[in-house]
Amino acid sequence: MSTDPLQSIVTRGYSRRQMLQSASCGFGYLAFASMAQAGLQPQVPTLRPKAKRVIFLFMSGGPAQMDTFDYKPQTGKKAHGGSVMEFKKHGQSGMLVSELMPETAKHVDKLCMLNGMYADTGIHAQSALQLHTGDRLRERPSLGAWVSYGLGTENRDLPGFISLNTSRPSSYSSAFLPSIHTGTAIGVNGEDMGTATIQNVQSRHMSLGSKRAQLDFVQRMNRRHLAERSEDQRLEGVIQSMELGFRMQASAPGLLDLSDESQATLERYRVGGQPKGVGTCRDTDFGRQCLLARRFAEAGVRFIEVNHGSWDQHKNHRRDLKANCMATDAPVAALLEDLHQRGMLDDTLVVWGGEFGRPGINPDKDKNETGHQPRGFTFWMAGGGVKPGFVYGATDPTGTRAISGKIHFRDLHATILHAMGLPPNDLSFWHEGRAHRLTGPQGGKVANAIFA
Amino acid sequence: MRSGRSKSVVVAVASLLLLLTLECVSKESLTAEQIRFFENRIRPQLVAHCYECHSSKEGKVEGKLDVATKTGLQQGGETGAVVVPGDAERSLLIQTLHYDGTEMPPEKPLPEDVIADFVKWVEMGAPDPRKDGQIKDAHIATNPIDGDPAYWSFHPIKNPSLPQVSGTDWPEDSLDFFVLERLEDEGVDPVQAASPSVLLRRLHVDLLGLPPAMDEIKAFEREVAVEGRRAIVRKVDELLASPHFGERWGRHWLDVARYAESNGNDGLSRNPTFPHAWRYRDYVIDSFNRDVPYNRFLLEQIAGDHLKAASEEERDKNLIATGLLALGAKPAKAMNNDFAMDVVADQIDVIGRGVMGVSVACARCHDHKFDPVPTRDYYALAGIFQSTETMWGLAANEKLTAPPTDLHVLKTARHYRAPEGFKETVILKESATGKPKAIPKPKWKAGTPLAMGVRDVKKPVDAKININGDSKKLGDSVPRGFLTAYPSLKSSAVEKIGVKSSGRLELAQWLVHPDHPQTARVMVNRIWAHLFGEGIVRTPDDFGVYGDRPSHPELLDHLATRFVNEGWSIKGMIRSIVLSRTYQLGSDASPDLVRKDPENRLLARHSRRRLDAESLRDHVLKVTGELEPTWGRGSLIGHRDILVNLAGSLHEPSRQRSVYLCYLRNAMPPELTAFDLPDFKSVSSQRETSTVPGQALFLFNNPFIVEQAGLFARRLIESNQSPEERIRKAYNEIMLREPSADEVNDSLRLLKEMSASEESDFLVWQSLCQALLVTNEFRYVD
Repeated sequence: MSTDPLQSIVTRGYSRRQMLQSASCGFGYLAFASMAQAGLQPQVPTLRPKAKRVIFLFMSGGPAQMDTFDYKPQTGKKAHGGSVMEFKKHGQSGMLVSELMPETAKHVDKLCMLNGMYADTGIHAQSALQLHTGDRLRERPSLGAWVSYGLGTENRDLPGFISLNTSRPSSYSSAFLPSIHTGTAIGVNGEDMGTATIQNVQSRHMSLGSKRAQLDFVQRMNRRHLAERSEDQRLEGVIQSMELGFRMQASAPGLLDLSDESQATLERYRVGGQPKGVGTCRDTDFGRQCLLARRFAEAGVRFIEVNHGSWDQHKNHRRDLKANCMATDAPVAALLEDLHQRGMLDDTLVVWGGEFGRPGINPDKDKNETGHQPRGFTFWMAGGGVKPGFVYGATDPTGTRAISGKIHFRDLHATILHAMGLPPNDLSFWHEGRAHRLTGPQGGKVANAIFA
Repeated sequence: MRSGRSKSVVVAVASLLLLLTLECVSKESLTAEQIRFFENRIRPQLVAHCYECHSSKEGKVEGKLDVATKTGLQQGGETGAVVVPGDAERSLLIQTLHYDGTEMPPEKPLPEDVIADFVKWVEMGAPDPRKDGQIKDAHIATNPIDGDPAYWSFHPIKNPSLPQVSGTDWPEDSLDFFVLERLEDEGVDPVQAASPSVLLRRLHVDLLGLPPAMDEIKAFEREVAVEGRRAIVRKVDELLASPHFGERWGRHWLDVARYAESNGNDGLSRNPTFPHAWRYRDYVIDSFNRDVPYNRFLLEQIAGDHLKAASEEERDKNLIATGLLALGAKPAKAMNNDFAMDVVADQIDVIGRGVMGVSVACARCHDHKFDPVPTRDYYALAGIFQSTETMWGLAANEKLTAPPTDLHVLKTARHYRAPEGFKETVILKESATGKPKAIPKPKWKAGTPLAMGVRDVKKPVDAKININGDSKKLGDSVPRGFLTAYPSLKSSAVEKIGVKSSGRLELAQWLVHPDHPQTARVMVNRIWAHLFGEGIVRTPDDFGVYGDRPSHPELLDHLATRFVNEGWSIKGMIRSIVLSRTYQLGSDASPDLVRKDPENRLLARHSRRRLDAESLRDHVLKVTGELEPTWGRGSLIGHRDILVNLAGSLHEPSRQRSVYLCYLRNAMPPELTAFDLPDFKSVSSQRETSTVPGQALFLFNNPFIVEQAGLFARRLIESNQSPEERIRKAYNEIMLREPSADEVNDSLRLLKEMSASEESDFLVWQSLCQALLVTNEFRYVD
């Protein structure tokens, strides 16, 4: 019987767990290999990967799809909820985009619009949790942790999963996956992105040169200590991880420091130059986040999440939606442009969306108010092997529910994992007596039609 | 005649071949993966699509094919064998599923991927882990006692006689006989004993979680040289009597108890504090210090509210003990019909994995796939906890998370008030509207001593089975009771659960019954694991079919027997183990030994271990002279009933031992997070030891380490000694030894390099002290 490539990944969870256990104590030669290296070492995907990394632009709060990307004009005599913003065709694909997204509209020929998204619940936190982890109620490993677990990181100076400016630890948790796959949070709880950083990555009490001298001293101590205990690979592992930590200390602050970017770039991303928060739209320096995302992507981080919110504009639909679009439109366009120019869009999957959508405004009712709508909404993807300038899936004429090309979050997860070369329903981890997977007991369906 | 004979020969040969094939895939040789594949992919399909017509259990065996038993499936039906192991193409089963000739299931073919699973299964050799005859039900072996090694932990504890060994002068304790027997069998020589200095550091770390001072090491070396073993015994007794013992071993139990001072993220980011949880923490530490027998310790925690108390102090203590069952992390109540059963599930898990090493949780939705726990058993236990009122307190009055409950009011415990002039800076807001939330009028006078815990409801009830774990789909009611896979316990004198009792007391008595096969084994294994780095069973919370098998089954039973016979004394067990030859071996091994036994399963040497998060911090404080005794100070959040996620950081700089820091779920003290803390949301008696660069960043950059190094450096500088003398002092007090000449020179070199780059004198010395604090030598124990 030949070795089934899927099988090896199915059992990977179990075997790595065992490795972890054996490494936690014995002198196992596996110890360092399994912990410091195999943990984050790039794993070979078992399907042909289309993308090497993901940038997930999470639009927290539920963006109004009918006034951004899913055009729903009035159709008949009786007024119904629909778009209130102007839409125009853009690019060669002729895709319709609202007037609120003029910069993103210039890149429609890079986008793959997913209009058939649907979710289970209209409760923000539950749906956001399900979008990130597949479960509505319990803390489970996040999509980024699964990707890091499945693929490791390309850059051993950096973690495999970074989450920018999130307020939800559960959205970057590794839960029961090995802790090494926990997202590294930068700018937690909406703290000022301008000063946000990685925990302990810097200390100002000594110059880097003095730190190097200090580390060299420690490593000489460690090597003498090891020489008397040469059979212990874990001690060697520590020596190497100290080198890595030192390099991270040297590399990560540099990545976070934007002073080497040109003024033109900073302006394109609107770094620091956005309007102050308006209504539900919080000023989180989204431009800086997008630019950081590009820099981390360039440096080889597997999964980068960029958070913006809140799109939960109930009462002041027009004003707040406009503010949210203004805060994000140019930075997203700049990110797409830069990825494209650097040739990175081919193997970087950009995903844009929120935990659900919103119903349209009914012109007859003269209200400027929307609610939550999980039954049909829009995501878009770009790069990473998806068809550019392509619209997939649709909602009914009034935009209230998805009717074709339907994609549930578990299908979205399956599709993203598939793009990364990971078999979505077989990537699993053995925990408390059963195999867990991101796509849950039901499994997810890959949206094959969107891949070129 | 002739042809008939040859036919029977062919049949005989064929059956023999079949037998051999079957033998190849008999239970013992099945891998965990094969069993899982069958249980997850094959068995459910058989049940769903085939049983209706082909199951002896359903009373219908059409075509004489019974797929509900292993034998039935192997033998096939009227048309002969349906499975040819290893050959899918020739297997009638696969042809039929493909609608190739015959067509099954008759209504419509199974989905392609399901058929593919069957093909794969046949190609694997049709592994079938079912055990006919001993199985009452399609899923479950409820009586796994008779000799099936997979269910070893359900078998009664034996009291094995001491094995014959040739090296009769090697054993110090009877447990050494079991270790030596295996070493002799495998032809492996154990290493020499650890030196007194190595042994003393090991004992200090293992028993107290703190390092010895250098003069203690010197004194110990002298005493051992003169008195030998007597000096070691005296030292062990001295350490066991130290109040730091309870801080170290209480911490181990707090991991099992998933102890924390906040609920943790409820899935919706809300994380209420538990301001009274610390009383349970102090109870645990105190119990370890007083060496409360383990059986009594469990009785108090599971049913303390039922125990007779001789005094009000004792009553308070017993109530605090029941905090174990109330400390769990609750999911959000909002939109969650199963909330009450989620709380019960956590309690069952603490009893299951925490006490028995059996994962019962699966049976909430279906009969356990591997371990002998049918759904009925789960709901027998669930009834006990449904008849129990769980009290976690106000929980920040966040009704969407864990709605407020009552608490135990203590009579003798001291009051605990907010500090003078304290002002809460957090304003609670309604999560839906953002409006400030009304602060509820407290039920108790400020400072009233309160405790989390449980008590019986007025009218105990039996639980109804929640079909597929859905509390809205109710099935049969199940009488309150215990797990059924323990026939040896059925006949013994276990109390029947009365109508008026929840059954918690009876459950506790059942768990600590001397004949219970798991309670004592699980605990001695945990004790062993904390002293050797790994247990005799390396999955200390899983003694089930998918757990590890004991490396020394007789040793485990020997220890469990002694533990029970000697009155369940934890200190006694620890004392016996640390005074054994095996424990006192050195940790250095020849490359040859490492090759032979890389994981040290034979125990021919001791295992080197890294200080855990708490010990590392405590070590640093101890060597810098900053550690403060703490007992009886309550908690930083003892008067704060708020949502952690809205409060910002609640932690404050502290010089207390780490066990007294504020263990907030999802918001742990930053001084501990770098080194593999569990999430404190479920039972976890073994810490991971990952090695990641974030730890290096912590060691070199975290303000705590930097500050502590600075405090030590300040003292060095103030001593006005020569650089060489200062270096010597630093090595003495941090590394607990004299520096070598090389090391003195190397240190001088660092000082010179740093001075050359114009660092201040203070920084230069701080840097050297910090360097010593982060070395492997400081952080690993031989």
